[in-house]
Amino acid sequence: MAYLAPAEFVTKMVDAGESKMLMSTRDTLIRAFMAGAILALAAAFAVTVTVNTGNHLIGSLLFPVGFCLLYLLGFDLLTGVFTLVPLAVFDRRPGATWGGVFRNWWLVFVGNFAGALTVAVFMAIIVTFGFSEGPNAVGQKLGSIGELRTVGYAAHGGAGMLTLFVRGVLCNWMVSTGVVAAMMSTSVSGKVIAMWMPILVFFYMGFEHSIVNMFLFPSGLMLGGKFTLMDYFIWNEIPTVVGNLVGGMTFVGLTLYSTHYKTAPNRKVSVKRALA
Amino acid sequence: MPQGALLQTKGIAVALADGISSSADSQVASQAAVVNFLDDYYCTSESWTVRRAAHCVLAASNSWLHAQTQRGAGRFDKERGFVCTFSALVFKGRQVHMLHVGDTRIYRVHPGSLEQLSQDHRVRISDEEQFLGRALGTGPHVDLDYASWPAEAGETYLLATDGAYGWLDAAAVDAVLQRCSGDLPAAARELVGLAQAQGSGDDATVQLVRIEALPAAEFQQLQAERDTLAMPPPLQPGMSFEGYTILRELHVSARSQVHLARDDATGQQVALKIPSVELRESPSSLDRFVLEEWVARRVDSAHVMRAAVADRPRQHLFVALEYIEGRTLSQWMTDHPRPDLEAVRSIVEQIARGLQALHRREMLHQDLRPANVIIDAAGSVKIIDLAAAHVAGLTEGTADADARAILGELQYTAPEYFTGAGGTAASDLFSLAVMTYQMLGGQLPYGLQVPLLRDPRDLARLQYTSLRRLRPDLPAWLDAVLRKALHPQAARRQEALSEFVHDLRTPGPEFLNDRPQPLLERDPVAFWRALALLLLVATLVLAGMLLSRH
Repeated sequence: MAYLAPAEFVTKMVDAGESKMLMSTRDTLIRAFMAGAILALAAAFAVTVTVNTGNHLIGSLLFPVGFCLLYLLGFDLLTGVFTLVPLAVFDRRPGATWGGVFRNWWLVFVGNFAGALTVAVFMAIIVTFGFSEGPNAVGQKLGSIGELRTVGYAAHGGAGMLTLFVRGVLCNWMVSTGVVAAMMSTSVSGKVIAMWMPILVFFYMGFEHSIVNMFLFPSGLMLGGKFTLMDYFIWNEIPTVVGNLVGGMTFVGLTLYSTHYKTAPNRKVSVKRALA
Repeated sequence: MPQGALLQTKGIAVALADGISSSADSQVASQAAVVNFLDDYYCTSESWTVRRAAHCVLAASNSWLHAQTQRGAGRFDKERGFVCTFSALVFKGRQVHMLHVGDTRIYRVHPGSLEQLSQDHRVRISDEEQFLGRALGTGPHVDLDYASWPAEAGETYLLATDGAYGWLDAAAVDAVLQRCSGDLPAAARELVGLAQAQGSGDDATVQLVRIEALPAAEFQQLQAERDTLAMPPPLQPGMSFEGYTILRELHVSARSQVHLARDDATGQQVALKIPSVELRESPSSLDRFVLEEWVARRVDSAHVMRAAVADRPRQHLFVALEYIEGRTLSQWMTDHPRPDLEAVRSIVEQIARGLQALHRREMLHQDLRPANVIIDAAGSVKIIDLAAAHVAGLTEGTADADARAILGELQYTAPEYFTGAGGTAASDLFSLAVMTYQMLGGQLPYGLQVPLLRDPRDLARLQYTSLRRLRPDLPAWLDAVLRKALHPQAARRQEALSEFVHDLRTPGPEFLNDRPQPLLERDPVAFWRALALLLLVATLVLAGMLLSRH
């Protein structure tokens, strides 16, 4: 399992960001749709495992399968493009503009949402026998998750909003670390191991992931969760997206870029000062 | 016969020279010409083509012979001097190269016939009076015939002086070759004997060459060679690596690492390029990687990066290239945000010259971008990074024969790559024109629209931003020249790089239209918007009139 030196994979990050910006609308949408759908399926899987075993850790341990799959298939999550695409602008790649960045973010957002929503509908059909009976245990769990994480935050007002934002930041810090970590290795096994660790951390700690939430909350609304669409957008999705954006760009993209790509010259310690 | 690397880079040379019978010194001349050629040809730079190397060596021989003639009796007597004919064949790779001056002949031997490949440089006044039109040593400059063709296994070539071919015919050669099957030295001796027996008074000399087997195609050889090399260790400053001392890191990317190094033997600075960790797992990328040095060795231009001289056997896979001190064109653009036209022209012309050198060898650069152009302190421009080059001779018969793969930076790649039509020399022209536009205007002519193309029908949708909007101070004809070079359809661009470069200095009448451009051409969107507004107003007025009637 080869390991790439940071200087090599950071140029890879910038190249990846640039190529995503140059991707055609059709490709961007298809890749985002598939990424959203696969991640949503993995979230449904993790909730099912948690309900069946009664242990959240086992669900979290297995949740990264979805992320590994969609990364290896070359699909794009909003959290990943938040980190990678702005690097092309920071590196002044020819033609790279903030307009191009926002275009990419918007398309990926739409694609991810559509994908996650599709899986949410499919899951709602599965757990209710095609809406012919009440939701089963998994369905009830899916319905209740949404309540605590919308109305629950709203109950705390500004403090709730801050908590939500920080959880979003922490989430994409971990998830984007997973994206970048996958670039450090050239083999499939190496990539999977590198991605598994940070994704596990984020899911077990209950950090807020904008795309996982695009599945959990619409599911909750369909399965009788006691919160409204407005609650979902204002008290979850929008702050989460902003938190994810800040977390990915600052803690992962910019830090790696500035330290490994725009490396400052080594400091020379003079002998006198070193001895003193 | 040379061995090892020399056999690959220089090939096998066979030469024959013949003096003129009237001059005693001529014997010395012919001997000197052959010995010098065989010695010096193998000492020429290995990045030179056979043609260039042979011409250089023969020009030197000619000068020496001519000087000797001038010093001796030959100065006043054209019959006596250091004059000789010269014919040589060089077998390199799968190609035969012929160099010829004078009336010695080179034949290809077919069963039952002799095909004369060389032309006799003989001026004929009458049957009795004939003399050499061209030869080594007659003048300060020599005009050599050169030809090259692919070699085939089993071919036999015959080099013969006039004392030999005058007395031999195809049937005789055939018979002798049949008799001495395989033993070429014996056959040559027998042919000379035969000529003398027929009454040849002149020196009769023949050389026979048979191609028994050909090496694998050069690129396959390159690949086979690559498989035997180990991957280089991570390079650190001060480290000793393959006879080089690493000085510092120059550039690291996801594809390769470039280090500045000093050659311990010559003290020269070179740029060593080693594959990145990721590249090492992909054989096709490694093939491209070694291609760079292959191309750099074969292109001889002041505006294309050269390969460093490499005469040592290697243990590791790396590429040694000339180190060019300077800044990249992208840095230059940052340093000169609004350059004047002349500065840009000078750079564009030099890049074009480098590209022409590639195109003459049927190579496309395919990755022309500002980061791949280096300008040194004296203002000389060189194209670097030849790893994406498409070499027609190497890809013949393979899936990539039409240069369809997109290997370069997307922003500078011509539309035809995205629509699947594949690249041509016009695609390199497009990339050069994008850079010219960017140097002057600071933007890309089509923004990021080109890489989003998928279908040839989309070409019409490309919106060209007029350069005059960004730089109103520049002449209108310049925008027209660039617009043509940046035409989405390759066939409607300038036909050659030279035409583009010429247009940049001396625009033709088609660009010098003083007539103010109509709004429809200048800004079609504004035109249609204005028209729509006009119609809206008209509709409202008519509607108002209709309502007021009732």
